[in-house]
Formats: sequence, structure tokens, C-alpha cells
Amino acid sequence: MSGHTSYRTYWITWIVLLVLTLSMLFVEATPFTRILTVLFLLGAMLAKAALIGGWFMHLRFERPALWIPLVAGTLLTAAFLFFLIAVDGAAMQRMAVP
Amino acid sequence: MDLVTTDVAATEAHWKGGVSPFGVSWQKLMMWLFLVSDALLFAGFLAAYGFERLASPAWPERSEVFSMAAIGTMTFVLITSSATMATAVGAAHRGDLRRATRFVLLTALGGLIFLGFQATEWAALIGEGASLTGNPWGVPAFSAFFFMITGFHGTHVLIGVIVLLLVAARVRAGRTSGSGVELVGLYWHFVDLVWVFIFTCFYLI
Repeated sequence: MSGHTSYRTYWITWIVLLVLTLSMLFVEATPFTRILTVLFLLGAMLAKAALIGGWFMHLRFERPALWIPLVAGTLLTAAFLFFLIAVDGAAMQRMAVP
Repeated sequence: MDLVTTDVAATEAHWKGGVSPFGVSWQKLMMWLFLVSDALLFAGFLAAYGFERLASPAWPERSEVFSMAAIGTMTFVLITSSATMATAVGAAHRGDLRRATRFVLLTALGGLIFLGFQATEWAALIGEGASLTGNPWGVPAFSAFFFMITGFHGTHVLIGVIVLLLVAARVRAGRTSGSGVELVGLYWHFVDLVWVFIFTCFYLI
């Protein structure tokens, strides 16, 4: 599958990943609100994951029968796990605060 | 109409077996299944971390605990090693074994540098009194999650480096094909992928 991709593409992907990483490191220095900063960080995180999965792991060349269950299954299960467990933590904190 | 008939025939033929519905080798499919199960393990760790973080009234400011310059460098090294790994896979598929060996070794070097940074970071925190059960910043779960999550990820990197060195020797000897390099490449990119989530959720948010 990697025969589809030139070496140049890998290194362009590398540059985009580095730019995203640097922007994530320096976003704290911007006047964004906390919510906007977190949303930006989550968006950049997913963009980086998509670049690594699609270009480095060649998922964009695989059949949808392979990549859709892999990506959707993992993301949905992880999100389900997070919202089942983590959000309970916020409720616990509210209960703990008098 | 002919196209529809052909599609139906192709679909029926597909379900009769003897073909590969995913279009990949069984080794690659098994690697993907392993990576998905491993990803869910890390998802469990991060969900538990999220729970503790949201349940705690206070949480240490990470930029006061860690050297963000060092974390940024670690991330840079790991991303670069992913690019060298992708280049190695491409070279192996093209039959350029010399280049493939060279880039697999560069990837392993990246992994070693990452581990060096991680060891330094662990030593600094342990030196300040952080452990699995307590730390000077007042939230014991903070260091417990730090050692557990980064330790588990670091173990993956260490295993990856060992496998990369073995694969480099095999490629050099002409005993591993492009598909073999691609399998270890998938594992290495996964290690990088997991770090993207740890870096964001643990160090930045």
C-alpha cells in the first residue's frame, strides 16, 4: 500500500504535524478563553491523529470495509468509555463542594 | 443496468468466501486488531485520568511541574521517528533495502532519544518526591496517573525499539520483506499516535 505514497508526501506530513504541535504548545500564550483553547487542542489532536493514521499508516489507501470499522469502532468506544466514566467525575466534584 | 448486475454478482461472489473482504494479509489484519485492543487500553487509562481530573477540586499546573521545552522536544523526536519509519516502509516496498535499513535504524535512534528524555523526566520527578502514592503538589493521583500512563507508553516505545533493531538486522540480511517492515511500521506509528493523545490530554489540557 505504501507504494502509493512518495517520500516527499511523508516529509510534508511531518512538517504539518510539527506546525500543529508547535501551535498546540503556544496556544496558551494567546488571549483565547479556556474553552476555545481546549477546543483548539482537541481539534489539533484529532487532526494529528488523522494525519498519522491516514498518511503514515496508509489507512486512506485501505478499503472502507477495513478503515471504517477500525476508526469508527475505536473512536466511538473510546468516547463511550470517556462519557460513561469521566463525566461522573464532574458530578462527584459538584457533590464534594459544599 | 449491466453495472448493477455486475455489482450484485461481485457482492455474491464476495460472500461465498475465497476472497479477502478487507483486502489485506491476515498478518496485517491481526496487527490492526491488536492495535485496536491496545488503543482501547490507553483509552481506558485516559478515561480514568479524565474521571480523576474532573473529580478533583484542584490539579497541579503542568507547566510548573514539567519542562514543556523537554516535552515539546520529545514530541518532535517521536513525530520525526514516525516520518523516518514511513520512509523505511516505502523503501522496503520499493526493494531499496539499504535505505530501508538506514531509516529503520534512524527510527530506533529516535525511540532511544525519546526514552532518554523520559528517563530524565522520571528521575527529576522522583527526585522531587513524586511516587505512585504521593507527590509534593498535593494531589496523589496526579503522579500515579503520570507514572502509569507514561510508563505504559514508554514500555511500548522500548518494545518498539527492540523490535526495530531486530527488523533492521533482518532487512539487512534480506530476511524480511516490505510487508514485514510495514507491520512493525504500523506498531511504531501507533506508539506515536498514542503519544498525540497523551501529550494533549495529560500535558496540555
